[in-house]
Amino acid sequence: MPAEGLCMRCKGKGLCGRPYCPTLERFKNNNRLTKALSNKTTVFGPSPPSVFVGSYNYPSLSAGPLIPPSIDLPELEFSEASEILREKVIKNPGFMEDSRLWHDLQMQDVISMRTALVRANSTFKPGDAKTDNPLLMKAQELALSAKPIDTEAWFKKPIISDLKFDSMMMPMGPSGQVKNFNITENPKVPNAVDRIIYDTDALAKDAIVELYQGSVSNEQMTRLMSIGLLGRDRKLVPTRWSITAIDDMTGKETIKRIKDYPHIREITVLTGEIFGNHFEILLLPGSFSYELLEIWQPHSVWNGEKTYIGQDHEDFYGKKEYSNLSGGYYAARLPVLEYLDSIKKQAFIFAIREIRPSYWAPLGVWVVREAARAAIMNPKKMFETKEEALADMSARLYTPRPDWEIETKLLYNQAVQMRIDSYYD
Amino acid sequence: MLKASIDIDLLRDSITALSVIVSEVRLKIKPDGISVKAVDAANVAMVIFDLKAGAFDSYTAEETEVGIDLVKLNDILGIVEKKTLVDMELDMTAQKLHLNFGGLSYTLSLLDPSTIRSEPRVPQLDLPARVVLNGQDLKRAVKAAEKISDHMTLGVAGDIFFMEAKGDTDQVRLEMGTDQLIDLKSGEANSLFSLDYLLDIIKSAGKANEVTLSIGCDFPILIEFDVAPNACHVTFLLAPRIESD
Repeated sequence: MPAEGLCMRCKGKGLCGRPYCPTLERFKNNNRLTKALSNKTTVFGPSPPSVFVGSYNYPSLSAGPLIPPSIDLPELEFSEASEILREKVIKNPGFMEDSRLWHDLQMQDVISMRTALVRANSTFKPGDAKTDNPLLMKAQELALSAKPIDTEAWFKKPIISDLKFDSMMMPMGPSGQVKNFNITENPKVPNAVDRIIYDTDALAKDAIVELYQGSVSNEQMTRLMSIGLLGRDRKLVPTRWSITAIDDMTGKETIKRIKDYPHIREITVLTGEIFGNHFEILLLPGSFSYELLEIWQPHSVWNGEKTYIGQDHEDFYGKKEYSNLSGGYYAARLPVLEYLDSIKKQAFIFAIREIRPSYWAPLGVWVVREAARAAIMNPKKMFETKEEALADMSARLYTPRPDWEIETKLLYNQAVQMRIDSYYD
Repeated sequence: MLKASIDIDLLRDSITALSVIVSEVRLKIKPDGISVKAVDAANVAMVIFDLKAGAFDSYTAEETEVGIDLVKLNDILGIVEKKTLVDMELDMTAQKLHLNFGGLSYTLSLLDPSTIRSEPRVPQLDLPARVVLNGQDLKRAVKAAEKISDHMTLGVAGDIFFMEAKGDTDQVRLEMGTDQLIDLKSGEANSLFSLDYLLDIIKSAGKANEVTLSIGCDFPILIEFDVAPNACHVTFLLAPRIESD
């Protein structure tokens, strides 16, 4: 393995200089599913809908729709407990793209489900979004839909069976270079989407805000952004970049509103976990600010023998540079902000994400978002003092409290910053 | 109504001092000068700003209140050459501020004052210790603290003024006796402040020959100085951090 800590910062980006990532390589032979798909030169099935824009080799982009070859492939390796899942996918192929519905799945289910989708790739340049490239226009049409769309693709060569894992994106399965593909039904386009994609004067940032207010799903915003349908100067944007851009922009928009709300009254603790991503979130009365600790337990994905703790934060005035915790920082922030917005309060948010060994393969940054959301949806606990709240939180964490407490930067500063209005008589 | 002309360096330094805390302000224009009181959005720092009529080469004004976008104004003033005289004229009907300098004329749209936070009350504080020192010395101490921490303590012990910062592993302390200070009124004082704010404040306070600090125990600090003697006086009020156990 490369130098201590490097994997934690890199997460498969290739910083160690190897042609492939040893961590990701481990999962490759874990799944027999993809073999059943190889040697095919054509696929037909309902795309959830889903599109993918790869960042590898940028500015040369590999992009196209994701198509399940046939939903009832007998090789779909759902875990034994998940017969219900198979039915869900067959009944609603959109299930395969909607991470909000996956809280109760097994990790193997998610991997099987996502790797059953075939990537029908073509090569583009970012600026192709402004041209009439017929394959891209079809992919864009697909991205517009909020409902699954039957799609058929013909490939130049037989599909290559493959399995790809990534820290930001959902696991990916086989792929091939397309000769052509067709959408065989009309996309169902939400009104908010229909309005904004024809608005070539609106900046991408403003377009996102409008879609967000129009309750367009996070996944669909990511699709629209990456396939080059938003903004003034339209470009194809790799999916992994769009995911975080959307989390950050929608978060910032919510923060703007939150800053005008009164401080939360009760010291609140929220707890939740999915796929070995355990969240403890503390809301303290005070001006908006946010601190996240990421605790990677030994033998969790990417990590070796030692516990690794990462930290980042922003104060009332926000953050200028990209977070050293990368996309997870923004993904964890969003559900908490949405919660504060819903109760019309501002608070100091202190969150701990403990990644446990049961998180054995990276499933994408949506896991962070949904784990934080799980915490928001669970019953809340209120405490009289910060100390009681912290004691309650640490009782559920596997990592000893002194180990993570020493890494915090805002927790012991934030609550004690006095305000001028405390000094009026 | 306002019609005035002022030296660019003085105007620029004044506006810089004001921009430390807020990006939009309500300017109170009166026959004897222009004043501002504002707090930052987090309610941690306050600025009390006083630009006297005497600071201007010429000044005629009637009492009024206007909203100014300081970021825009700073941006415009940034291109003016040193030692230029800037003519200002307020057009209340069109809600514009005209700025003329070196043949260029700028028209800056005013903001509706009602959209900007109203002037805050200034708390009455009883601060036992008072220290007068050179702005450069204060700047040096704050910069030193920045290297290892994000907050620092300011205090007085006997007739020593001290500044101290503690990081996770390192610490720095600076002491100044009466021989290095311009003036000292001894009193029990020891308060902790956020460096985020102090770093912004010393951007303008660091240039002043004399900076007066009024300090208490776990109490706000007053930082007062003249941007230009008898012309522009600025007071910052900064709420402390209180260490919890």
